[in-house]
Amino acid sequence: MHPIVELENVVKEYPLGRVTVRALRQVNLALDRGEFTVVAGPSGSGKTTLLNLVGGIDVPTSGEVRIDGRATSRLSDRALTALRLEKLGFIFQSFNLINVLDVVQNIEFPLLLQGELSRRERRVRVDALVERVGLQEQVRQRPGELSGGQRQRVAIARALVTRPAIVLADEPTANLDSATGTAIIELMREINHTDHTTFIFSTHDPKVMERADRVVPILDGRLEADTHSRSRAAPVEAR
Amino acid sequence: MRILLGIALRNLVQSRRRTALVGVAIGGVTLLLVCLLALADGVRDNLVRAATTISAGHVSVAGFFKPNATNLNAIVTGRAALRKLVEENVDGLDYIVERHRGWGKVVGNEGTLQVGFSGVVAEDEPALFDTLSLAWESEYLAGGRDEVIGDPRELAEPGTMVLFAAQARRLGVRVGDTVTIKTETLSGQTNTADARIVAVARDLGLLSSYAVFVDRGLILDLYRYNEDTTGAFWIYLEDIDRADEVMRTLRTAIAEAGYALREHESDPFYFKVSRVQTEDWTGQQIDVTTWRDEVSFLTFIVTGFSVLTWLITTILVSVIAVGIMNAIWTAVRERTREVGTMRAVGLSRGRVLALFLLEAALLGLVSSSAGAILGLGLITLLDALSIRIPAEAAQVILLSDTLHLRITPQALASAVGVLTLLTAASAIWPSVQAAALRPVKALQHAE
Ligand SMILES: Nc1ncnc2c1ncn2[C@@H]1O[C@H](COP(=O)(O)OP(=O)(O)OP(=O)(O)O)[C@@H](O)[C@H]1O
Ligand SMILES: [Mg+2]
Repeated sequence: MHPIVELENVVKEYPLGRVTVRALRQVNLALDRGEFTVVAGPSGSGKTTLLNLVGGIDVPTSGEVRIDGRATSRLSDRALTALRLEKLGFIFQSFNLINVLDVVQNIEFPLLLQGELSRRERRVRVDALVERVGLQEQVRQRPGELSGGQRQRVAIARALVTRPAIVLADEPTANLDSATGTAIIELMREINHTDHTTFIFSTHDPKVMERADRVVPILDGRLEADTHSRSRAAPVEAR
Repeated sequence: MRILLGIALRNLVQSRRRTALVGVAIGGVTLLLVCLLALADGVRDNLVRAATTISAGHVSVAGFFKPNATNLNAIVTGRAALRKLVEENVDGLDYIVERHRGWGKVVGNEGTLQVGFSGVVAEDEPALFDTLSLAWESEYLAGGRDEVIGDPRELAEPGTMVLFAAQARRLGVRVGDTVTIKTETLSGQTNTADARIVAVARDLGLLSSYAVFVDRGLILDLYRYNEDTTGAFWIYLEDIDRADEVMRTLRTAIAEAGYALREHESDPFYFKVSRVQTEDWTGQQIDVTTWRDEVSFLTFIVTGFSVLTWLITTILVSVIAVGIMNAIWTAVRERTREVGTMRAVGLSRGRVLALFLLEAALLGLVSSSAGAILGLGLITLLDALSIRIPAEAAQVILLSDTLHLRITPQALASAVGVLTLLTAASAIWPSVQAAALRPVKALQHAE
């Protein structure tokens, strides 16, 4: 079985006025199913850029990103959108919920876009996730009425509702206090354990790194030799 | 997609102020459009009423009789036979009236008027006396009473006349007065007769300026016509919209019965007279027309109102279109991050476009419906008030002396439809921009 995500000689450049910013330089990476991977690096190292490529919301300048075997740069916008909808789940640093929808509607949203499940099936699935993330009391509240931790729980439930092959989270704890952040990571870890969902997320928080199966250190757009041990987090913060 | 509708709706509620501002503008334009449409339709209604009271039936069968090449009488000879033929060949007939025609001068106390006479048989006119609304005496006589004087049914008596308020004013006459009628036959012979005014009707605009009703006997006397003649058969149908069809059937039937039938010309009767007079033939010709032909010179009024209505609407819509576009632009800018999120989650470009267009269409639908309902209320109220039109010039154009507004459900629906579509159309550009946003860029957008 091929890895769920493969990056091959990936380069990502951003034009910035007259100069070109090289955000990723010759990155090679493969993620296996069921892994709980952290991309760790300081600010500006290229974490967001990497996750955007893995998540198919951007394409590389050169090299190839393959999601479930399909090269993203060869897909049309329509096909790429469909790929995101079917295979990927997103959790954002600033939660990014739809403000006018309540908790249940936000979680249900990707299922409605897929349009595959019946109303009853959707309900069962959403209810299970609401319980899983512990928001039974908040189902009819809108994002504006929730705390940061609660919002991120909604985002996690939304990312999981389609049972994606891989869930991406770009600094999911950065806007949370450390206790809440830890709880959120624990929740993701638990889901990873029970459902074997592949997770990849970025952070520069050593406490978060500790919880990962695998830490991929990134610095100046280059990946460094990663570690597969949960016991040892790479101290990439030092620079 | 119900969810998109839900999001669009909630976003409109969320940005209440902006929604209200644009909504009021759309509603206002709809209100105005509906009122203008109602005015145009009211005038059309006035035209039908005036035309079918004064100028024609729904379908008219008239006659031109030339005893010699230079003389012309506007009559049907052998009236009974033709009437029978007509009655047998009209489908959906309500009733037929006969009008004898003549033209000449009416001399009153203070002035004279050149008019066309309509000789009526009072007992055969079930609708005329219902349709004519009578003027208060004060409307045509300085110091007159605020009540209706006289009764048009007295046209059943010999030597009687019913005229319109503006005419009574010009002649300086009131009910009970006697006026002198002077007619001149085409051969130059002058005849005179006296007529007693039995009622004064409210004006019906342009058409009522040059028409008076007299009893039929008066016309027979003035022109020395025999009893077996008439001027025209005015045919009233159960459904006025079938006029063209009935006209065609009648034309065929009359031609087949051996009458000389005039080619169909969409001109009023009085326009044809001078033309026929110079034509080189003798005997009887029959002319069949619809009410539209008889008032064809007036359709410019109705067309004018329609053109004006849409012109004003187009100008106002162009103005608010800018506002709508701006509002949707602002919405797109405010929600760029959200668009990015939804795109990342798997919302397609097409659906982003649909989302914003839906938002605009919804805004258009709700606001224009509100405007239309308000307009309907206003129209109903204004029409019920029967407001007098102050200027005589305006009365002539509006074809009535009171303001008449009327709107059909179809016109109401089309006003709402047009405004909704235009609102959605105004939102196309910003919506396309929203759909074209790249997800990465949209997600990076600062709030
Ligand atoms: N749209 C862009 N245009 C130009 N340069 C960009 C753009 N996005 C990122 N960069 C640059 O690319 C490099 C990598 O940025 P990236 O956002 O991936 O880093 P990061 O590790 O996510 O940082 P942070 O921890 O601050 O989120 C940085 O130098 C950044 O300035
Ligand atoms: Mg980042």
